[in-house]
Amino acid sequence: MQSDGVIGEYAIGGAVGATFYLEPSATLDVDIFVTLPVPSGSSLLSLSPIYDYLTSRGCLVKSEYIVIGDWPVQFLPPSDDLEREAIAEAIETEVEGVSTRVVTAEHLVAIALRTGRPKDRARILQFIEQEAVNKTTLDAILIRHGLSVKWAEFKKKFDE
Amino acid sequence: MSKETRKQLASLSFSEKLKLLEKLRERNLAIAAAREKLKKLREQK
Repeated sequence: MQSDGVIGEYAIGGAVGATFYLEPSATLDVDIFVTLPVPSGSSLLSLSPIYDYLTSRGCLVKSEYIVIGDWPVQFLPPSDDLEREAIAEAIETEVEGVSTRVVTAEHLVAIALRTGRPKDRARILQFIEQEAVNKTTLDAILIRHGLSVKWAEFKKKFDE
Repeated sequence: MSKETRKQLASLSFSEKLKLLEKLRERNLAIAAAREKLKKLREQK
C-alpha cells in the first residue's frame, strides 16, 4: 500500500503493537496509525483510497474495520503531534519475513496515558511492571506533549 | 473495538471462539519471534 502511494508512513499501535513488548494479548483488532497523502488541490484527508484499494483486492468492510486476511484492521490517521511522532519514530521490524513498523513502547504508553480508558491504564501498568519502557525516553515524550501532570497523577493513583 | 463488534464476538459459539483463539495464538507466536529483533534494535538506538 505504501509503495502504491495509498498510504504514507504507518506503524502498528494499540494492543497488537503492545504485544511486541508485553505478554500476548487476546485482542483481535489491529490498529494501524497511518499518514495519508493529501491529493493535490485538496486539504481534506480521506480514508477512502485505503478502503478502495483493499476492497478491490477482496478485503471486506465490517463495521469500523476492514478485514485483511483474517484480521479486522482499523486505519487511524494521527490525531495530534504525539501520534504523528509515534509514526515517525516507529521501529522497523520483521514478522514472518515481512517488514513492518511498530510504535515504540514509550509512545504506546504516552498514547495510552492520553487516551485514559481502563484498558489503557491496565496496559500502562503492564509496561511498568515488565520494565518494558525506557524511563528517560518516556519522560522526554511526556514533557514534549504536555502529559507530565497526567503521568504524575497516574503514578500516584496506580503505581504505588 | 465497538460494543457492537464485541457483542458479535460474544455471541459466537464456543467452537468459533476457540478457532479465533487459535488464530490469535498463531499471530502472537509470530510477533514473539519478532520481539528479540525489536529488542536489539531498541538497544542500538
